[in-house]
Amino acid sequence: MKRILLLSILLTSAIASADTIEMKVYGLVCGFCAQGIEKTLRKNPATEDVVVSLEHQLVAIATRQGQDIPDADLTKALTDSGYDVKGILRTQRSLVDIRAELKKAVK
Amino acid sequence: MNLFRLTLTGVVLFALHVPISGAKPIAFAHGTTVMAEYGAGTMKEAQVFYAPKYFLSLGAGYLELESDIDHRRREITYARANYLVKRWNMASAQANVFVWGGAGQAYVSETNGHEFTGNAGAQFDYETRRVYASLKADWYGAEDFSHRVDTLQLGLAPYEHEYDKLATWFVVQGRNFTGEIRDGIEWAVLLRLFKRGGWIEAGVTDDGKLQAMAMVNF
Repeated sequence: MKRILLLSILLTSAIASADTIEMKVYGLVCGFCAQGIEKTLRKNPATEDVVVSLEHQLVAIATRQGQDIPDADLTKALTDSGYDVKGILRTQRSLVDIRAELKKAVK
Repeated sequence: MNLFRLTLTGVVLFALHVPISGAKPIAFAHGTTVMAEYGAGTMKEAQVFYAPKYFLSLGAGYLELESDIDHRRREITYARANYLVKRWNMASAQANVFVWGGAGQAYVSETNGHEFTGNAGAQFDYETRRVYASLKADWYGAEDFSHRVDTLQLGLAPYEHEYDKLATWFVVQGRNFTGEIRDGIEWAVLLRLFKRGGWIEAGVTDDGKLQAMAMVNF
């Protein structure tokens, strides 16, 4: 039981401390846009998780521990999906936090 | 005032208070689109497309047209390429110009035979999370017929949907057929729902017939 608990804490902290890439993207107006972007970004082996917000024109990626995706690759992935990248930021906000903030903003 | 006119009036009144989503021939790169439409007894269509690029999709379709005037019928099977000519990505909006072309074979009821058929078309659309407008022209021609199906759609969303939430749209559609398929413009009011890759819409035309469409993107 203790082992399971310890493993859960380690997994949670690993996900929480993963680096996050936040991109401002133009042209996000429907679920199909987001679906295509998410599908493309999840193919990248450095991607841990993806969040897309149509409201905030936001595409956020949690990268796997110790991995990064170069800006040029991110821009190419989004451009090849048919969208325009207007800015790329690396932050320490976890996707759990981003999801919570987006949910709060909707309320 | 019948139900259709009442609903149409409601949609127009709603349009006055809020600024005006729709099917595109290319959904997203490396995506497959499967679509089926039942068009008020006059038009039935099914399509399957795969998009190797965000600006190109290739696939096949089946279109059945049955005249409201004299019951002449076309059963057209075709292969088609769709191309995105221009896209405008804005902060909260997107506009597109698509063109397409293809070829196939049609069963023609008057001659009870099959003919080589050409197909060409274009679409312009503008979309925000509250407003959708599109104008589409789709032409099919063979030795014994020429039909153009022009479709105008204006859509309003009562709320701005998020990616993982259900999107709801009220859509007014006007459709004109050439080549003795139908006399006059066919109007319809539609309720459109979609979430992630699934899409369903249904409504009624001005002569009380069912208009429906379902689509899956994956």
